[in-house]
Amino acid sequence: MKETKGQKIFKIFNYSFLALLGLITFYPFWYVLVASLNTGRDFMRGGVWLWPREFTLENYIKAFADDRILPSLQISVSITVISVVVGLIFTALAAYAMCIRTLPGKKFLNFFWYFTSIFSAGIIPYYMVLRSLKLTSSYWLYILPSIYSFYNFILLRTNFANIPYELRESAQLDGASEWTILSRIYLPLSKPILATLALFIGVGKWNDWFTAAYYQSKTALYPAATVLQRILAEASAGSQVKVGQETALGTMTSYTTQSLQMAFVMILTMPIVVVYPFLQKYYVKGVMVGSVKG
Amino acid sequence: MGVSKGKSVLTVNEKKQNRKRLWKEIKKHKVLYLFMLPCVIWLLVFCYAPMAGNILAFKNYRFDLGIFGSEWAGLKHFKAFMSSPEFWLTIRNTLIISGLKILFCFPAPIILALLLNEVRAPKFKRAIQTMSYLPNFVSWAVVVSLMTAIFTPYGGIFNDIRKSMGLEAIFVMGEKNAFYPLVIFSDMWKGVGWGSIVYLAAITGVDQGLYEAATIDGANRWQCTWHITLPGISTTIGIMFIMAVGGILNAGYDQILLLQQPANTQISQILDTYILQTGIRYGKFEYATAIGLFKSVFSLILVSLTNYLTQKYAEVGLW
Repeated sequence: MKETKGQKIFKIFNYSFLALLGLITFYPFWYVLVASLNTGRDFMRGGVWLWPREFTLENYIKAFADDRILPSLQISVSITVISVVVGLIFTALAAYAMCIRTLPGKKFLNFFWYFTSIFSAGIIPYYMVLRSLKLTSSYWLYILPSIYSFYNFILLRTNFANIPYELRESAQLDGASEWTILSRIYLPLSKPILATLALFIGVGKWNDWFTAAYYQSKTALYPAATVLQRILAEASAGSQVKVGQETALGTMTSYTTQSLQMAFVMILTMPIVVVYPFLQKYYVKGVMVGSVKG
Repeated sequence: MGVSKGKSVLTVNEKKQNRKRLWKEIKKHKVLYLFMLPCVIWLLVFCYAPMAGNILAFKNYRFDLGIFGSEWAGLKHFKAFMSSPEFWLTIRNTLIISGLKILFCFPAPIILALLLNEVRAPKFKRAIQTMSYLPNFVSWAVVVSLMTAIFTPYGGIFNDIRKSMGLEAIFVMGEKNAFYPLVIFSDMWKGVGWGSIVYLAAITGVDQGLYEAATIDGANRWQCTWHITLPGISTTIGIMFIMAVGGILNAGYDQILLLQQPANTQISQILDTYILQTGIRYGKFEYATAIGLFKSVFSLILVSLTNYLTQKYAEVGLW
């Protein structure tokens, strides 16, 4: 079939529009990457748009040597890893139990899970609970609350419910325990969705600046995202860029608080950029399942 | 009739037997209850206990007496909030920000999905999709950092362009008039790609036979989109709309907190940020809890109402 003129014009418009959209999405990351590889002092002159003008790795070296940034990165890595493991285990256990048809009291339990998703308890009562459990000055503040999330639970349960029930029944006839059925049949059959959940939990933890900023009283326990937020807040409060803090001592440094921050932003973004494209086919499916049943 | 009557009038013996059977069933599934126990405890501690903790809104909190031991204060805190100037201010700001987001950020992923659907080059399509998902995966702290870098008066590209046009460099992030555009644009930038997944999935679910039939009847691509694709995904749009309207009192505090500046608090203070400020920063727990409860109840009413209306008029519903 021949294209009409109108279709051709639309096609050109559509492709260029989408390309522009891709550019708008990607460019801010590129811009900050370039800026983080440029000396801070030179960046302030402006015009560093596409490529570093004065290339340097100093910003990254300084960022990794910073006594706030490095410990916070270690905390973020450990929170992310532990939360993913703990979250997957407990969500899988509960989701499995809730997809068994013969379970007595299922109706009440269903309501028990669902109600929390339509009525939120509120920030302050939640904070009071955290405080009375002494979590507000503890590392466990980051782990315990992430064991469960309604959305993850529903995703996994929907997935489990789609596994043929006969598999479970025949395994039971062979004398398999519930634990064996879950770990040998259900979990291996759910690898894509487990990968998706691991990504969601991990990314959520890695990015969460809020929990520590408002609930954590020990600044030494701040994860990287919160430290970044603090640096942002300090920078906007001063709305001044400090050029290399050691200038007073006579050592002329070329980094600025601004360039240091950009290196930090890139350090936080890189792990995500490396991971998320590879899981794309899984999470796209996961979101679809969640949107139908959620 | 006879059967149901026979069932409802149980002898004592039968009741006993039923209870026994139920107990046996429960026992048979005891491992499963054990499986869900951690999450049940979690829900009790982190969801249901805070729900009960909302009675703080009706109390005069004293640390030594605890939430339940403190004396009752009636509706004092609600009245204090409703008669304060912050009441209309925070509600107005919340509704403006949510309203603008529904107006601009809600249709954006639908349009993107429709445009992506017209692309016949799979590699190009996939590349654009992958790129558009990236902002969804980064923290708001990172997004605001990127904005700060672009808009900074100290070498940022935005002010470079302004200068080259002969204009003065400005501190955009602290500019009051720039606040709403920055909120809307950054929200759209972060969410449009991710939001389109749902609609793209819905589009693939539309019956392909309809397109073939329409093309034979001489319909063009635009007519196909308007008369087949859009009605085909209207259920999904409806559900997403219910959720958006139900969440209208959540204007996205994560984002707002990071974009808040002393210069823009008059237009940026929303319910959630006000709760955090009065509750956690100033320690007025009861007052902040009252605002939170007010918000939760209204949200619940809103979700139920929109759900009822769409179910009635569009036959779409969450429940």
